Amino acid sequence: MNLFFQQIINGLTLGSIYGLVALGLTLVYGILHVPNFAHGALYMVGAFMSYFFMVDLGVHYWVAMAGSAGVIAVLAILCERLVFHPLRNSPPIHDKIAAIGILLFLEAVVQMFWGSDFRRMTSPFTGIMNFDGLIIPEQRLLIIVAAFVLVFVLQMFLRKTMTGATIIAMAQSREGAFLVGIDANRVAMMTFAISGALAAIAATLYAPINLVYPAMGHLVIMKAFVIIILGGMGSIPGAIVGGMIIGFAEAFGGFYISTAYKDIIAFGLLVLILSARPQGLFAKGAH
Amino acid sequence: MKTAKTLGRAIAATTFGLSLSAGAFAGEVNIGFTGPLSGGAALYGENTLSGLRMAAEEINAAGGFDLNGEKTTINLVALDDRYSPAQAATNAKRLKQESNVPAIFIPHSGGTFALQDFNEKDDFLVMAYTSVPTVTEKGNSLTLRIPPTFDGYVHAFTDYALENLGTTLGMAGATHEYAKIWGSMIEKEWTSKGGKVVANNPMDYNKSADFFTGVSRIIAENPDVMFVGGASEPTGLVVQQARQMGFQGGFIVMDQAKIDEVANVAGGLEMVEGAVGVVPLSVYETEEAKSFLKRYEEKYGKTPGSEAAYNYLALHGLVAAMDATESTDPKVLRGAIGEALKNMDSSKNPYAVTDVTEKGGFVTNTTLAVVKDGKIVREAIK
Repeated sequence: MNLFFQQIINGLTLGSIYGLVALGLTLVYGILHVPNFAHGALYMVGAFMSYFFMVDLGVHYWVAMAGSAGVIAVLAILCERLVFHPLRNSPPIHDKIAAIGILLFLEAVVQMFWGSDFRRMTSPFTGIMNFDGLIIPEQRLLIIVAAFVLVFVLQMFLRKTMTGATIIAMAQSREGAFLVGIDANRVAMMTFAISGALAAIAATLYAPINLVYPAMGHLVIMKAFVIIILGGMGSIPGAIVGGMIIGFAEAFGGFYISTAYKDIIAFGLLVLILSARPQGLFAKGAH
Repeated sequence: MKTAKTLGRAIAATTFGLSLSAGAFAGEVNIGFTGPLSGGAALYGENTLSGLRMAAEEINAAGGFDLNGEKTTINLVALDDRYSPAQAATNAKRLKQESNVPAIFIPHSGGTFALQDFNEKDDFLVMAYTSVPTVTEKGNSLTLRIPPTFDGYVHAFTDYALENLGTTLGMAGATHEYAKIWGSMIEKEWTSKGGKVVANNPMDYNKSADFFTGVSRIIAENPDVMFVGGASEPTGLVVQQARQMGFQGGFIVMDQAKIDEVANVAGGLEMVEGAVGVVPLSVYETEEAKSFLKRYEEKYGKTPGSEAAYNYLALHGLVAAMDATESTDPKVLRGAIGEALKNMDSSKNPYAVTDVTEKGGFVTNTTLAVVKDGKIVREAIK
């Protein structure tokens, strides 16, 4: 029975990280209507920023996380201002190419400054909790708790505040939002900032149980794309539920069937769900 | 319009100039390298290249070597293949055509096999840094295999683990081609010597985000020994997560991973207690190894892995062969490198390679390393 609960914990950990990254991706998609391929690079730079703050400046884990979230939020806004904004009237393919350009640029910059070494980031939460054989390292518990808190805060922000409401309005209908006088520039920048900050926090949460290196974004971003397609492009609940589905599919499939097949299980689920609901689980407009 | 034309000409002139400069000048020999310099395996590629660079710089700093009465220097031309065999083949064609290299260094088995399809026809030496036995077994006349083959390790690690660590084995190896061959060989060896394989759950070390699930599946079967190994860093994560889940036994570490690097990631040597694997260069007690270690650390500020050391000595050996035969003809070099390695100054030969087999494998004295009481100990292979 313990092994079963162990997999629930594993699924929750993975699902939380995937969900956080997918959330940022889906938010930007809602506004831009273009998949931001550079999101994985923002995640990676976020991990390196936290590493820099912690190891080189010697600040505390939480401070490093906040600092990194701030830096990546600004970086995401810069991407929007310098790249995506000037391309707003171009065909969508231009945005996609630009996003891939940003991805390659950021990876090259990080590799130039830090090299391609694998790095380890420590966190103050190194303890391991053992409930009668059910093993939960503290950092993994932190990931799960932090993800739930963040999702809750984000929901509150989007539902209960005026600024949050403008983001949802913009995602639901661009023209409608303009008609009621919503400032599109402000909303776009804000969305990018939130998405960047989420990526940085997810990276900082996950880095202590993983490795920090320039190509680390690839793994997570591929999963994040699967998740937002599964959940419905641009849907917030879709990103969270999708993240959990993929996380649990990997944990349970990996344990009860084989780790070698866990991706097949996840992608098989994607095919099944999309054949039943081609628009994704939470169709667009269900914000 | 006019400016555009001038610009166009300028670009054309520069590109032409560049392509010319890639060709070898008199008094210079180009040596090719294709390996992963970006992407997930970039570190491995860069480490390999660092050993080659160091050798080339040493040769050039000494004024080059003597080729038909002319002082000749080495120019290393490195291209990125992102670990892809297809890209490695393209790079090799390019290196041959643009830089006319007599030899190409390549640090992966997939790329080596791709190059072996045409290296005899295109006339260049493949300097393969891979321990897959078939690289030399195929009988390609212009291939040199730099490290020892891994089948020797499979026997030695199995013998040691069965004798000292226990009889049940959990397979937590990786899923890439090299690891699969290794895994199946050790599984066969383990059962044929009376051991029992209780769990088999290979994991994708390069693409997995997390190993907790995979490792917990193996630990559920309660093995005495766990077989792990891919690149050192993910291997370190696997080891750490196994210990976190309460695994007390030993590890058989596949030769791609180095115990010292694994321990760095896993959180210290006590985490890898009872592990058996290849000997990290830093544990070698010999004079030549220590001398190399010191120079490398001064130059790059980090401890070299075996990929740096082996490629360093291979380039030195290759140049010594050119020096001795007054030739850059790949066939001549292939025939002469064994003798050249034997006569080479020992400071250039950290692994003390003394010979090359008929099929093109470098001959080294293989040993194994075990972690005992928090220390890496080098043991002779029986």
